[in-house]
Amino acid sequence: MRITLLLVLLFSMSAIADETCMSPYMAKIEGQEDFVYVWTLGLEGVGDEQDKLVTVDVNPDSDGYGKVVHSVSVGGRNEAHHTGLTDDRRFLWASGLDTNHIFIFDVHTDPAKPTLHKTITDFVAKSGGVVGPHTNYALPGRMMISGLSNNRDHGGRTAMVEYTNAGDFVKTYWMPTDDNLQGAVKSGQYADGFGYDVRVLPRRNAMVTSSFTGWNNYMMNLGTMMADPEAMKAFGNTVVIWDMHARKPTKVLDVPGAPIEIRCAWNEENDYCFTTTALTSKVWLIYLDEQGEWQASAVGDIGDATKIPLPVDISISNNDTRLWINTWNDGMTRLYDISDPFNAKQMWEQRIGEQVNMVSQSWDGKRVYYTSSLLANWDKTAPAGPDLQYLKVYNFDGEKLEQTMAIDFIAEKLGAPHQMRFGAHALYGEKVSAR
Amino acid sequence: MNPIHWSLRWLAIGAVLLCASLKVWSETTQVLAPGYGPLKFEPPAAGSYQLPPLGSAADGAVIDMNGKSFPLRDLTGDKLVVMGFIYTHCPDVNGCPLASYVMKQLQLRLLASTDLKDRVRLISLSFDPIQDTAAAMRDYSMHFRRQGFDWEFLTTKNENELQPILEGYGQYRKMFYNEDGDYAGTMSHILRVYLIDRDRRIRNIYSAGFLHVDTVINDLRTLQMEPNQ
Repeated sequence: MRITLLLVLLFSMSAIADETCMSPYMAKIEGQEDFVYVWTLGLEGVGDEQDKLVTVDVNPDSDGYGKVVHSVSVGGRNEAHHTGLTDDRRFLWASGLDTNHIFIFDVHTDPAKPTLHKTITDFVAKSGGVVGPHTNYALPGRMMISGLSNNRDHGGRTAMVEYTNAGDFVKTYWMPTDDNLQGAVKSGQYADGFGYDVRVLPRRNAMVTSSFTGWNNYMMNLGTMMADPEAMKAFGNTVVIWDMHARKPTKVLDVPGAPIEIRCAWNEENDYCFTTTALTSKVWLIYLDEQGEWQASAVGDIGDATKIPLPVDISISNNDTRLWINTWNDGMTRLYDISDPFNAKQMWEQRIGEQVNMVSQSWDGKRVYYTSSLLANWDKTAPAGPDLQYLKVYNFDGEKLEQTMAIDFIAEKLGAPHQMRFGAHALYGEKVSAR
Repeated sequence: MNPIHWSLRWLAIGAVLLCASLKVWSETTQVLAPGYGPLKFEPPAAGSYQLPPLGSAADGAVIDMNGKSFPLRDLTGDKLVVMGFIYTHCPDVNGCPLASYVMKQLQLRLLASTDLKDRVRLISLSFDPIQDTAAAMRDYSMHFRRQGFDWEFLTTKNENELQPILEGYGQYRKMFYNEDGDYAGTMSHILRVYLIDRDRRIRNIYSAGFLHVDTVINDLRTLQMEPNQ
């Protein structure tokens, strides 16, 4: 009797749900998310022109469903880009690639009305010259921030920077380069020292980083950059495997063509992560081989590379069988079958808007969220209308996307929407019935 | 005490014992945290890496298993400390039961270690002052603590004395209440176990995905190799 009750109790406490691209041991949302927090770039001539955290009510049972219920402006434009929740999901870190400010929002006191709790303004000085705070990734009681650039030449050489959850600097970890591999094995042609995303596979003590480009490029007009052969050479070609516990690089893998977002498999037997290359339009698998060595292999094509579809955000399903891949330039979302991780096959595609960047899904994959903006100087400015800068939400039944919500961020005088994170009252609920 | 609460405590203790002996149910319920099994990787060797300070270990008034009140600070500074926040009714197998399970394993390793066993203190500090009295912590300790080993089971007098400690360590937890407003006996929290050096600085924080006896032992040895530790 005692054991039976125990199992029932344990099972009820473990029926968790959450988006699929977060730190694997973060606190989880159960069931329907209530809010999506959208880190939004301020645009000249649009509303207050400031970067802002926009809160949208996305619970169909709510009176505010489909509406912008709150917005917190941060006092200027910073090249708002990525965000990340702390491991206890009490705070949302949102960084600016240009000013290097990191804004820490309190999302637990009132999940419907986040407030600006703290702003880190000395990221460059504290880190020893890291520029472009990108990914805000939760570790136990800490945040790991991946950089994009440096303050010496504003190129792509960069580092990761660790902070406590309270926002105190801990340490900087520079990416391995040819002139300082830091003990890592260079397995191919490159050791460029570039950075972009960071993810962790705790079960393998592996931290994985990717590589994009520096401040000189990401702040340049897209057309100007693409017409500049020297600028186009300044993109990353590496994925680095790190000893997570020791925070030391162990292997540099060649992944040519600017590997950006990284998503790792959830199944404890699946020791691999996916990334996509922005310039060469390929799906890459980063995997542990039978000899226990980390390897990289191109496992799929994304659209017609000659047309530069520009793969951007990706999202893996909770059972490791599907991968959403957005291509920004043609505004398409593409669903890939990754049941065989060594053979990623596109199943179908659908146009979301004039441009599409970020994609987030609920844990069960039944709701898929999209936003449009990539970078302030890269975003399209025409044709004007509801498909240019937007948040769109779809139901997904495994076969097709059915749109359930759309917000035109220009018409609403908000700006250009970038990364999304989910919030829920149940995370901070006080009643048993909330669980 | 409410008999339901007593049942919950026994269930929580049972969860630890069950995890130690039976893992068959995990496939039908949830994945057990890595701390319950062998590591799937070779942890970095002690002394081959650094553990940068993560801030000061907070102080506060605590009560031991005998009901004696004193500052938590009295239990730091003389030894390396591994301290986990728990509550004895915790039903989440990858929560407090994991902390107690791994710390019990750690106790065995330390007892077998001539160089560490007298230089490390374990602390289990309850964040449920309503249910976890000194007597309750003593009862709970009997399932884990070897006679004479330096493993303190602590609680606090009340919520007012607990809160500064939780704030100081950034340990979030939320109590659940019934519809009638009474404490339901369970709470939402994220597992945190802290490694504290002799300078009373936090040197590592472990959560469910990272807490394992092999890595904690190596971290303790890494700190012990530092000149002033």
